[in-house]
Amino acid sequence: MLSYILRRIVSTLPVMAIVALFVFSLLYIAPGDPAVVIAGDQASPEDVERIRQGLGLDRPFLIQFGSWVWRILHGDLGTSIFTNLPVSAMIGQRLGPTLSLMTVTLLLTIVVAVPLGVVAAWKAGSFIDRAIMAFAVFGFSLPVFVVGYVLAYVFALELEWLPVQGYTPLTEGFWPWLPNLILPSIALGCVYIALIARITRATMLEVLQQDYIRTARAKGLGQGGILFVHALKNAAVPIVTVIGIGIALLIGGAVVTESVFAIPGLGRLTIDAILRRDYPVIQGIVLLFSFVYVLVNLMIDVVYTLVDPRIRY
Amino acid sequence: MDRRTVLKGLAGAGGLALSGGLSAPAIAQGASARTLRFVPQANLANFDPIWGTQYVVRNAAALVWDTLYGVDAKLQPQRQMVESEETTDDGKTWTFKLRPGLKFHDGEPVLSKDVVASLSRWAARDPMGLMILAIQQELTPVDDRTFKWVLKQPFPKMLYALAKNNAPCSFIMPERIAKTDPFKQITEYVGSGPMKFAKSEWVPGAKSVFEKFTDYVPRQEKASWLAGGKNILVDRVEWLVMPDPATAAAALQNGEVDWWENPISDLVPVLKKNKNISVDIGDPLGNIGSFRMNHLHPPFNNVKARRAVLMALSQEDYMRALVGDDDTLWKPLPGFFTPDTPLYTELGGEILKGKRDLDAAKKLLAESGYSGQPVTCVVAQDQSITKAQGDVTADLLKKLGMNVDFVATDWGTVGARRAMKTPPGQGGWNMFHSWHAGADCINPAAYTAIRANGDKAWFGWPNSPNTEKEITAWFDAKNLEEEKAAIGQVNKAALEDVVYAPTGFFLTYTAWRKNVSGITKGPLPFFWNVSKSA
Repeated sequence: MLSYILRRIVSTLPVMAIVALFVFSLLYIAPGDPAVVIAGDQASPEDVERIRQGLGLDRPFLIQFGSWVWRILHGDLGTSIFTNLPVSAMIGQRLGPTLSLMTVTLLLTIVVAVPLGVVAAWKAGSFIDRAIMAFAVFGFSLPVFVVGYVLAYVFALELEWLPVQGYTPLTEGFWPWLPNLILPSIALGCVYIALIARITRATMLEVLQQDYIRTARAKGLGQGGILFVHALKNAAVPIVTVIGIGIALLIGGAVVTESVFAIPGLGRLTIDAILRRDYPVIQGIVLLFSFVYVLVNLMIDVVYTLVDPRIRY
Repeated sequence: MDRRTVLKGLAGAGGLALSGGLSAPAIAQGASARTLRFVPQANLANFDPIWGTQYVVRNAAALVWDTLYGVDAKLQPQRQMVESEETTDDGKTWTFKLRPGLKFHDGEPVLSKDVVASLSRWAARDPMGLMILAIQQELTPVDDRTFKWVLKQPFPKMLYALAKNNAPCSFIMPERIAKTDPFKQITEYVGSGPMKFAKSEWVPGAKSVFEKFTDYVPRQEKASWLAGGKNILVDRVEWLVMPDPATAAAALQNGEVDWWENPISDLVPVLKKNKNISVDIGDPLGNIGSFRMNHLHPPFNNVKARRAVLMALSQEDYMRALVGDDDTLWKPLPGFFTPDTPLYTELGGEILKGKRDLDAAKKLLAESGYSGQPVTCVVAQDQSITKAQGDVTADLLKKLGMNVDFVATDWGTVGARRAMKTPPGQGGWNMFHSWHAGADCINPAAYTAIRANGDKAWFGWPNSPNTEKEITAWFDAKNLEEEKAAIGQVNKAALEDVVYAPTGFFLTYTAWRKNVSGITKGPLPFFWNVSKSA
């Protein structure tokens, strides 16, 4: 297993390099010039050109790319064109809020969605099943920002139970940290709860038709044991897959959520960097996101072996 | 249902609920009355007020760095860091003496060598500074508190140049920092202003923190804009960036922030209904909407085509698209200069007044030789002001019978594309939209958009010798009457040649919690003499 994991990690390096080259090229092909944004409206073309030279943007594409790759190989993600701060430090500042948001959302999703899916499958065709599936369709259909505004209105503005916006680091304590994440996690989690609940139900329904479930019932095993010990374990592979994909998708969802709830995470950093054409920051984030995707895929594969011993690498 | 509708409805509902007096436990509140939490107009993405000239950088820099002079609410330069100044009879030599006891945030005294280095860096980036540099003989320290600026010819607007609030302002930095190439960013943020920048707490795009500088010695005069006694009455000012207006509105209603610099007009009625919130015009000098036509390429290289557009455009259409139905927020502007300022003029403004004459405009357009070629209209959709104006322009051009190539894009792209002098079909453009802070348009000093010196002019590269002649006359003017006369002629000439198209004058609001006091109207948010009760 260890050699498999190592092989997987090594094999992802070329993928990340290709992604990096693609993104680097795309940025230079796309219109927009950070020097123009920096120089402001008062600047003359000469001013803009001098800023461009100062930033090294006047150098040929291949030299810029080569220099960037060289820095990456030495563990240096470069310096932001706008803030003059190291990209790694900027990403580090923003990683905490995004990881917190994703963690709470993921936990919330699993805790809510899997039992909902199991119950829906168990009560297939009943009112409960239809209600859960209706909720799932509803959750899937609503944009994150709509859910976010509704939650903020009810729980922050009207009831004043939770803050509207902001983020407190976990280092300042669990209780200062958690309240800022509850509403955004619910807003972000709605889609994933719906998605995972539906997948869980479908997979469970299939498993519940299997002979060994009938045998378990015939042996007089209780409903809870059948559902959560026998059926759920065998239905776990597709559910784990969807949860894994969900983690990757959460990164995209976090962009909107972080804007609505003013959370200083990677999503907002990405949007700001793109709008300003802050190339080193965009490149650093893309590399990070690529790495996360690869890592999540790897983790899914590893979890497969844990939930289904028949899978071997 | 779009995002804007949802946020407006929910924010409105929230405001009503709160004004109804609902109360419940709040995890969110409880911040110290010694910290003022402010939502700025934009993200403080960099913090070098000479290298980057965005308004938000200038606004933050005014807390950290002081200037030799500051413009007051009457638009007059007043002494700030200087104790006195002298000029020789020929007007060529200026000698300035600094106030005693000025200190930088690192504890070092402010010396004339710091001022000389700072002014040299500023002058290399500022339009007025460049004019001074062009006639400079020497800029040297005389002693620790005195420095001398010797010119080859008089520059009557010297004190205005040093006091003006247009970016870049002539902020004074320690010599070691000010010696940085003006085209490279500084990395230390040490000033002698009333607040210190807490760099360790800076999260660009999210939060900037300023702490009271206890060694700051304010002037004894009453504060007036950038002049007078800058007394800081709180310990900390936190700038919290909120990209979403509904979130900012909710945070203000909830008491999570104390002051929102510029609420969008959609949400102002909601904020006004909240008994805990004050809403007022933020900057009395407002803004001037604009679109520029490219004078280098057909059809707008012909003045008849430009005048045809000016004859047809309805400023009311533009302003309603920007501010909605609130008539107190806009006024027609038959010219280029900021209303209610000393040099305001409407001379030559007839073309923008009265009923719009579409038929005459069409006739003039035909006379210009326009024959249906595409007009590339580049519009940034990510800025509400440019988007609203762009939509109105597209409609206007269609009514005129023009073939519109509407390029909806983002501001980063507009910024790069508008610098292209190539024909529209080869990456260039025919029109783009913008707006100018009214504070920049009170005279030609920092009003880049009014300059009409061809290749050296702002984007669109208008060439109007008459306009330029009158701008020079303003710089040479020795009194207010001469200035007024020159500005009247600038307005007339610029409208005749259609340097650009003004789409109207508009104001924006600012909003704050009622436990905050001391907020004054001005071209930037002033934090001195602002206090907050629990």
